[in-house]
Amino acid sequence: MAAYVIRRLLWLPVLLILISLVTFALGIYGPGDPVQVLLGLHARPDIVALVRKQYGFDQPFIVQYLNYMTNALQGNFGVSIVKYPGQSVSALLARRLPITIQLNLMATVWSLPLGVALGIFAALYRKSWLDVFVRALVVLGISLPIIGLMPTLSFAFSRQHVVGPLTIGPFLPVGGWQGMFAPTIVLPAFILGLGVLAVFTRQTRAAMIDVMNQDYVRTARAKGLKEWMVIVRHALRNALIPLITLLGFMIAGLFAGSFLVEAFYGIPGVGQLAYDSLTSREYYIIMAFTLMAAIIYVLINLLIDVVYGFVDPQIRYK
Amino acid sequence: MSENRGLIAVVVVLLVALVGLVCVGLGALIYCPQPGSICSGFFGATTTANQNTPSTSPTAVGNQNQSQNQNQNQGQNQNPQPSQGNTAPVGNTLRLPGGSGAGGDPPTLDPAQTSDVESATYIVEIFSGLVSFNKDLKIVPELAEKWDVSNEGKTYTFTLRKDAKFHDGRPVTAQDVKYSLERAADPKTRSTVSPLYLGDIVGFMDKYTGKAQDISGVKVIDNYTVQIDIKAPVTYFLAELAHPTSYVVDKFNVESGDQPWYLKPNGTGPYKLVSWDQGQQIVLEKNPDYYGDPKPSVDRVEYLLGGGSPMTRYENGDLDAVAVSLADIERVSDTNSPLNKELQVVPQLSTSFLVFNTRKPPFDDPKVRLAFAMSIDKNKIVDVVYKKMAEPAKGILPESFPGYNPNQQGIPYDPEGAKKLLAESKYANGLPDIVWNTVGGGGTAAPSTQAIAEMLKDNLGANISIEQTDWATYLSEISGTNVDFQMFDIGWSADYVDPENFFGILFRSDSLNNWSGYNNPEVDKLIDQASLESDLEKRINLYQQAEDLILKDAPVLPLTYGRDYWLTKPYVKGVFYPPLVVERLKYITLEK
Repeated sequence: MAAYVIRRLLWLPVLLILISLVTFALGIYGPGDPVQVLLGLHARPDIVALVRKQYGFDQPFIVQYLNYMTNALQGNFGVSIVKYPGQSVSALLARRLPITIQLNLMATVWSLPLGVALGIFAALYRKSWLDVFVRALVVLGISLPIIGLMPTLSFAFSRQHVVGPLTIGPFLPVGGWQGMFAPTIVLPAFILGLGVLAVFTRQTRAAMIDVMNQDYVRTARAKGLKEWMVIVRHALRNALIPLITLLGFMIAGLFAGSFLVEAFYGIPGVGQLAYDSLTSREYYIIMAFTLMAAIIYVLINLLIDVVYGFVDPQIRYK
Repeated sequence: MSENRGLIAVVVVLLVALVGLVCVGLGALIYCPQPGSICSGFFGATTTANQNTPSTSPTAVGNQNQSQNQNQNQGQNQNPQPSQGNTAPVGNTLRLPGGSGAGGDPPTLDPAQTSDVESATYIVEIFSGLVSFNKDLKIVPELAEKWDVSNEGKTYTFTLRKDAKFHDGRPVTAQDVKYSLERAADPKTRSTVSPLYLGDIVGFMDKYTGKAQDISGVKVIDNYTVQIDIKAPVTYFLAELAHPTSYVVDKFNVESGDQPWYLKPNGTGPYKLVSWDQGQQIVLEKNPDYYGDPKPSVDRVEYLLGGGSPMTRYENGDLDAVAVSLADIERVSDTNSPLNKELQVVPQLSTSFLVFNTRKPPFDDPKVRLAFAMSIDKNKIVDVVYKKMAEPAKGILPESFPGYNPNQQGIPYDPEGAKKLLAESKYANGLPDIVWNTVGGGGTAAPSTQAIAEMLKDNLGANISIEQTDWATYLSEISGTNVDFQMFDIGWSADYVDPENFFGILFRSDSLNNWSGYNNPEVDKLIDQASLESDLEKRINLYQQAEDLILKDAPVLPLTYGRDYWLTKPYVKGVFYPPLVVERLKYITLEK
């Protein structure tokens, strides 16, 4: 097991080098330039050239890349050029990461258990109205575009509405961030969690159905065990195991969803920063964000695989 | 068997619901008791005003959490909120959206780096310079109490006020002025804007390009006298100096080692920075020792950056002013809407242009350019597409800009004349395919763009395909002399209030921002003459002559003049929305 973990970890530097090279190349060689974006139409090309020289953008690609990476290894991920000129990228990210983590946590906390529960019941009551309802929910959850849903929910819940003689609302704040346990988190956490809800419901349902048809379940029933014991002690445990692998995708999905949700609701998290950095060509922020996301993703997937190895006796790592 | 299943189902669902309720309950327990929250009624937060705050004053709560004012009536916020928190009793607070009205953090609060409206909005309140613009956009003394112009307009000698102080009490001296200007020129500061405004100072560019250690043209004569030499007696030098990039900063503050230093700025302006929660809010407090006039009245200004759509927050009563977004302009311009009374339409110092690349066919022929310009019915576009929300442009300078010619007819809409011109041009036998590059990322181009392309097709038979690019790419494509685009559009807003900023920058043949590649020696001569002419009337006359010539050649077609739409609550008095960022908080009072 230890050997397996070490071998997996050895891939990490290789992966990071590849990812960073591609990202850096896309930035430097791609169209657009942060200094120009900073100045907009008022950029005078000679001034832009001078400032680019200050930042070292006139040096050859490989020199820039090596400089950046050597600094990155020591924790210096460069500075912001357009959005927060002069401020260190690592400070910006560090300040915002807890917020994104809290948001994603709240999104998961409601959608994961609910998804699993719904999936189980859809499987247990196949071909009933519950199953149909749940499957419809899944399709909606996966296909509803966040971009359309956000303004709609915002309109419904965050504005006043005149209904006849009554004036109702607003029920929820328009946006902002006041911590994990405040009304401002309701809409963003709901929207972020929808994807998770849909995916977990569907996968759990499929896994449960598969498991309930297995021989050992029939055996357990034949042994005379009460139905609920069959489900909880035998079927459920085995059904949940493949779901662990889903967690990796879920993390990726949440990070991706964060971009839009944070941008729309004005939540000062990492996703909002990354979103703004893309349009502004903030090379250094994009690099740092990409590296951070890659590391998190690889480590979490490794963790999941290790846990999976422990939980499923059929899997053995050599 | 099935009863057991049912039992399990119910139990699990109840468990999930229970967990959810516990979370919500915890949240409510923590959040609701704070006054001003949506649910404060449930948890006993009282709404009586405390201390001596008059009960009808619509104030915001002084604590760090965003206040969500309870709102029973549509529009106006009438509920008093008790003030809480550890700052001085707050009776006089103004709540604004971020800077330009769009929300969001300013990139920087370093005056030398001011390249955008967001930063400038705060910087002009926290810092100040030798001169500034007053509410009528005239140059007035600020840190300098007077100045002398000598040496045929090439030397300015400024005498500083003796009573000007930094926020920490230290008096402002000539050495501080020199330090700030040197800093703006220092390559290590990496200012992208200082050459644009201070480049006329003798020796400035030498320091900026690293050839010199000091700016030779800035001399300290004594503790309260500074002398600045400029390369040529340009008459707009003071207008350039009024830009934040020259504002005075405190050497000890900048070099304090804090990263970045401007999070705790020691400025000289009418307001001080109290706090900046990134992405959330910026709080300013008035400077009781401000030397200037008028003295600031509003005690505290909160810029609420985060929190979602500013329009919605204004309507909910959480903001005292808001810039109307495009989507809402029609709604607030409707005279039946209660919001309409709170609306101010502010002309901007900007003009939008359709640019023809004079270096590329078919626009290398001025007859073609003029034909295109004459085929576009601007009035129709403004009526139908913009629903009269914009002002169709005739000339190059926007209205209320010095030098604006009210008699300028501009390029007429004349499709017959346009066809004739086309027939006389190099491309009478057929226009090449034309690509119109514009900024955008959506599926279809803006309605105005599509409408104009239609007009050109109908009137001239021109085949125009529209290509959209994202902003950063677009910028890099149009800069430099090797522009590939045939036809594109830009909006130009003035950096400083002087026609030079339009003509010299956009149309002078050797200007690096001359996007159309226009090259007319006659126009160049007029522009050069005007920049040295000290008689204002003669200057304006020269620029207007240049404008006439340019419009005849049509390297660009002016489309519309920019406008901002602002809503302000009626209890905010003395507010104005200048087309340039100038200090204005000190003129505002809140009516109780």
